[in-house]
Amino acid sequence: MANTEIHRAGSLAETAEEILNRRAESLARETIEEEAAHRLALLLFRIAEEWYCVRVSDVREIFQEYDITTVPGVPDYILGVVNVRGEILSITDPATLMHIGAISLDGVEQPPAIVIVNGEVATAIVVDEIGDIAEIPDDSVEPPISIIDRAQAAFISGSVHVGDNMVGLINIERMLEPVITGGRH
Amino acid sequence: MVEFDRSAFIGKFQEEAQELLQRLNEGVITLEGDPENRELIDQMMRDAHTIKGSSRMVGLIEISDVAHWLEDIMVKVRDGDMKYTPQMSDYFFEALDAIVYLADNKGVNEGDVLDLDGLKSKLAALADGGTDAAKAAEAETAEAAANAAAEPAPKKRSRKKVAEPVQELDDELPDDDDDDAHEAVETERVTQDAAPKSRSSAGKNLSPDELKTKVQATIRIKTAQVDSLLNLISEVVIGQIKAEQRANEMRVIQSGATESWQAWARIRSMLAALGESGAVDGLAEDVNLLDGSLANSQRALSEFVKVYSEDVSRTSLVVTDLQEQGMRLRMLPANTIFQTFPRAVRDLAKQFKKEIDFQIEGGETELDKKVLEEINDPLVHIMRNCVDHGVEDPETRKKLGKPAVGHVKLEARQEGDRIIIEITDDGAGIDPDKVRESAVRKGYLTEAEASAMSDREAKYLIFEAGFSTAAIITEISGRGVGMDVVREFVVEKLKGSLDVESEVGKGTTFKLTIPLTLAIIRALMIRVGEKVFAMPTGSIDETLRVDPAEIIKVEGREVIRRQRRTIPLVRLSEILGVPVAPAEGMKQPIVTISYSGHRMGFMVDGFVGEQQIVIKPLGSHLKKIDNVAGVTILGAGEVVPILNIPDLMTNARTRSGHRAGPTHRDESEGPRSVLICEDSFTTRELERSIFEAAGYQVETAVDGAQGYAKLHEGLKVDAVVTDVQMPNMTGFELTKAIKSDPSLMSIPVIIVTSLERDEEKAEGIEAGADAYITKSVFNQDTLLETVERLIR
Repeated sequence: MANTEIHRAGSLAETAEEILNRRAESLARETIEEEAAHRLALLLFRIAEEWYCVRVSDVREIFQEYDITTVPGVPDYILGVVNVRGEILSITDPATLMHIGAISLDGVEQPPAIVIVNGEVATAIVVDEIGDIAEIPDDSVEPPISIIDRAQAAFISGSVHVGDNMVGLINIERMLEPVITGGRH
Repeated sequence: MVEFDRSAFIGKFQEEAQELLQRLNEGVITLEGDPENRELIDQMMRDAHTIKGSSRMVGLIEISDVAHWLEDIMVKVRDGDMKYTPQMSDYFFEALDAIVYLADNKGVNEGDVLDLDGLKSKLAALADGGTDAAKAAEAETAEAAANAAAEPAPKKRSRKKVAEPVQELDDELPDDDDDDAHEAVETERVTQDAAPKSRSSAGKNLSPDELKTKVQATIRIKTAQVDSLLNLISEVVIGQIKAEQRANEMRVIQSGATESWQAWARIRSMLAALGESGAVDGLAEDVNLLDGSLANSQRALSEFVKVYSEDVSRTSLVVTDLQEQGMRLRMLPANTIFQTFPRAVRDLAKQFKKEIDFQIEGGETELDKKVLEEINDPLVHIMRNCVDHGVEDPETRKKLGKPAVGHVKLEARQEGDRIIIEITDDGAGIDPDKVRESAVRKGYLTEAEASAMSDREAKYLIFEAGFSTAAIITEISGRGVGMDVVREFVVEKLKGSLDVESEVGKGTTFKLTIPLTLAIIRALMIRVGEKVFAMPTGSIDETLRVDPAEIIKVEGREVIRRQRRTIPLVRLSEILGVPVAPAEGMKQPIVTISYSGHRMGFMVDGFVGEQQIVIKPLGSHLKKIDNVAGVTILGAGEVVPILNIPDLMTNARTRSGHRAGPTHRDESEGPRSVLICEDSFTTRELERSIFEAAGYQVETAVDGAQGYAKLHEGLKVDAVVTDVQMPNMTGFELTKAIKSDPSLMSIPVIIVTSLERDEEKAEGIEAGADAYITKSVFNQDTLLETVERLIR
């Protein structure tokens, strides 16, 4: 009788400890999760003299070497298509699209391309230079600065401070809007 | 075309049905006390009819069936063929409950909660035998009666089978072993036939052995997974081709090394000669060292080149196999779709009162799954055409000295890298004169053009958009559209070609030639300016190199004469907006293409060659690009755009100043408009959404009277789409009213209804309707195509 009593007491203590441990663990986890949830990783890139960024979670890959095949009948901001391991991807020039010039393809080195994805839709955007990955608190994304051009405004969903710079966050939904040309269909 | 989602309308149907069901339930109760209430009976019949139509429109066929049985009974009660008795109420409630259940569960009879067959036999017995409840109850227990009603013939046979084989068993059991297999089969059939009820459960109670083999034989894989696997395989193929190129380059390097070695050998012997004079004494050791190492490198290199070349060619075999097997992953036998056709042909034959013997050959031929999906509709379409227009009715056939039973044959076979599907009938054939006549009457051709046309060309007119020799459009052989849809399907979607051979009085053969898989097609590689493009060979007539002198200017347009026909020419570079390269050579390369009855010549800058290509979509970002159907990746990895023939033809015709046929509508006339007269809310909204998605302006009316009033008040529409059974003014009455009013008679009227009997169709034709679409075959394409065709 007494034995069982002790055993029960022991198991009670064990249970208590277990509960406390679990609680401690979950508390610790929560803070980590909380922290993660509050940070936003951004990939910076440069177009002409301006810096822009996209969410790292919207980036699939980056590539440097490619052969562009031009396709007739596409809008001017579509430079053509490339073959990425058997998959055909369109090449978008974000500068032409946003009416802020054009990315030069004539240099010694090809401009780097960032593959951005929104659901099923993907394109590779060419940029002048790829910068760092910046981590910022996610509540520090501000509305886009009002002085930017109307044509450009649709493509910028917000602005963030990275170091001393003000960087435009690209609106990938807008940039990845499917392209349809021709009268029929 | 914007796809619409039927499921989105199920909610609307549920809303509508709830109200109607409530009213029907109340109606049954009222009717019990007042069985002669004529008004109520009419009301209930209409409600059941509306549920039938609406449920069918949203694809809830089971509900539609139950409502149909109810309507049948109500019609009999209304016509006085049957008296309403309180006993009937029980069945009515059961039927209404079934509809409620099905409506709540979106038509899914999960786990067979409802005994729909039982319900059907009860209601069928009720409709057949009047109020004899005993009879209905009998039907409930003896399900065989229901089977008998549906298929009288098999029942007789099954009874015989039950009796005979048992005897056979008794007789033959002690006999020789040869009959064992035969017995086994017969025994199985006996059990199945004797107990039709257990058939479904028998299917589930497979013995463990059977189950095992089934599990092991196949696995289900998402097609997307197979496709990405194939993507990777084609990359491996490209890698392999590159490796082969490297092996060749290696051999070039090796022969260079051999030359160096030979040069060194000469130098060495010269040094040896010098050495005798003592001039190069100090070099002897180095010379020997260099000699040794060069010899070693030379040996190692040639050994490496040999082994590497062997490796590459061995891998090449494997990669070829890998590609072939990979492609086969997507292949299914043609029977996957063919097996539904015997039944369809039988039903059609019955409907048109024809007698047809239908044959299938080559059902085991394997096709790409995607091809199979796409080919089903064109085939159904052609077969309807065979039954409706091809095969004559038995009396006519007898008069012509043909057997009363017509023959229709569907045959598939593989020829090289393509599949040939032929549909042959021994019917009336296509009379080129009739086709010419009809084409002239409809304004497609002038008399002169028609008479200049060869018989063969005239036959091809049946593929012309909107061309049909039938007087009124029904959903059969037409569904309101001509054979042009079949052609567009085969050419545009499947990148194949369609031929017709026909002899008046003897019959017709439609021949579909389609690529083995949709992923691989034959293409002509052409050069425009500096760029290479691929053109699917399916619709290419011929490639020519003509003397510039042969190109003549007619009314400011460039044309060439080919086989007594004038072919307009366009520069492909202009259509594609690609810069031209300076002309080289004297002859102008031209590709002539026939599409949808028109012929065009495209001037290009050069032919590169013909080859098999793998089609790849442009991706989800470039969703639809004018003139470009996709791209292909050539052996060495370069990407080449594939041209879209239908787009090219449309753009070329616009450019060369042609009207795009009598079918084209001037955009400046503003959006097209349509008036929908329909008392069912669900159907009305569904039709509205279909037309609005297609860019129409839509007006609606809840019955014929309101619709007619709107037209009378000056509403201008391009077409009227109407239901038949509506309060106040039926669709037939509305049609008659429109067609007898000089200011309205030119407006096409399209009847969309669940009335399917021939007499009802005849009534629609008599009323002057331009098209008659039944809800059972209703789909958005049918509706839009029909309306579009009529308002041209």
